[in-house]
Amino acid sequence: MSEDRGRILELLAGGKITAEEAERLLDALDAPTGAATASAGPAIQGDPEPLIAALPKYLYVKVLAANGDNVNVKIPIVLVRSGLKLTSLIPPLAMDKINETMAEHGMSVDFNNFKPEDIDELIGGLRETEVNVDGKNGDTVRVYCA
Amino acid sequence: MKVPPMILDLTVASFQRRPVRLWLPLFLLWPLALALGVLALALTIVADGVLFLLGRRFHHYTALLVRIFEALGETRGTVIRFSNEKTAVDMTVH
Repeated sequence: MSEDRGRILELLAGGKITAEEAERLLDALDAPTGAATASAGPAIQGDPEPLIAALPKYLYVKVLAANGDNVNVKIPIVLVRSGLKLTSLIPPLAMDKINETMAEHGMSVDFNNFKPEDIDELIGGLRETEVNVDGKNGDTVRVYCA
Repeated sequence: MKVPPMILDLTVASFQRRPVRLWLPLFLLWPLALALGVLALALTIVADGVLFLLGRRFHHYTALLVRIFEALGETRGTVIRFSNEKTAVDMTVH
C-alpha cells in the first residue's frame, strides 16, 4: 500500500473525509494521466493533503432579518455527520415523537430510514448545495458549504 | 487523534458599553464528563444486556452514549454569531 493511499484511508477512518471523497481520491490516485502514464507513476504526485484541504469543511447558515437581526452559524461538517449518525441510534419511541413533531411543522423526514450510506450521500450532496431563501418581508437565509 | 473542544470564546458587545470577552475553559469539564461518562457507560452496558436478554429490538444505549460523546468532540470549530442594532454576541468553540 502506497503512502498516499494509506494517508487517505487514515483520513477516512478518522472521519475527516467521507467514503465518497475517499473513493474519489483513491480513483484519482489510480487514474492514469498523460504524464503519469508515461512515467507509470501515481496520478497524484506527492501529498494528497492540498486536494483534501480544498474540500469544504464547514456548513454555513446565514440569516439576515429585515428588522436588523443577523445570525451567522458555522458548523464543522464532521459535526453534521456525527449528528446524522446519531439519528440511527435514537430509541424508536423518541424517534416516533421527533418524526411526529417534525411532521406537525411540515417536515416529513423519516429518520428511521436513515442508513450510513444515505448519510454519506447527504453530506456529499450538501457540499454541492447552496440554498438561498428571500422572504417576502425582506428576510434572507443562505445555507452553503465552504 | 481527535481533540475535544478546549475553550469556549464568548464575546458580548452591547451598545455604548465595553465589550466583554470570556474564555471559558471547557477542558476543565472534560475530566468530570469522563467520570460521568464511565459511570453512564457501565449503566448502559447493563441496560443493553438486559434489553438484549429480554429480546427487545432496541438495545443500543451504549452505542448512543459513545456517539453523543463523539458528536460533542466534533463541536470544535463551531461559530455562532448574533447581532442586531444593540447587541452583538460571538461564540466560538476552540
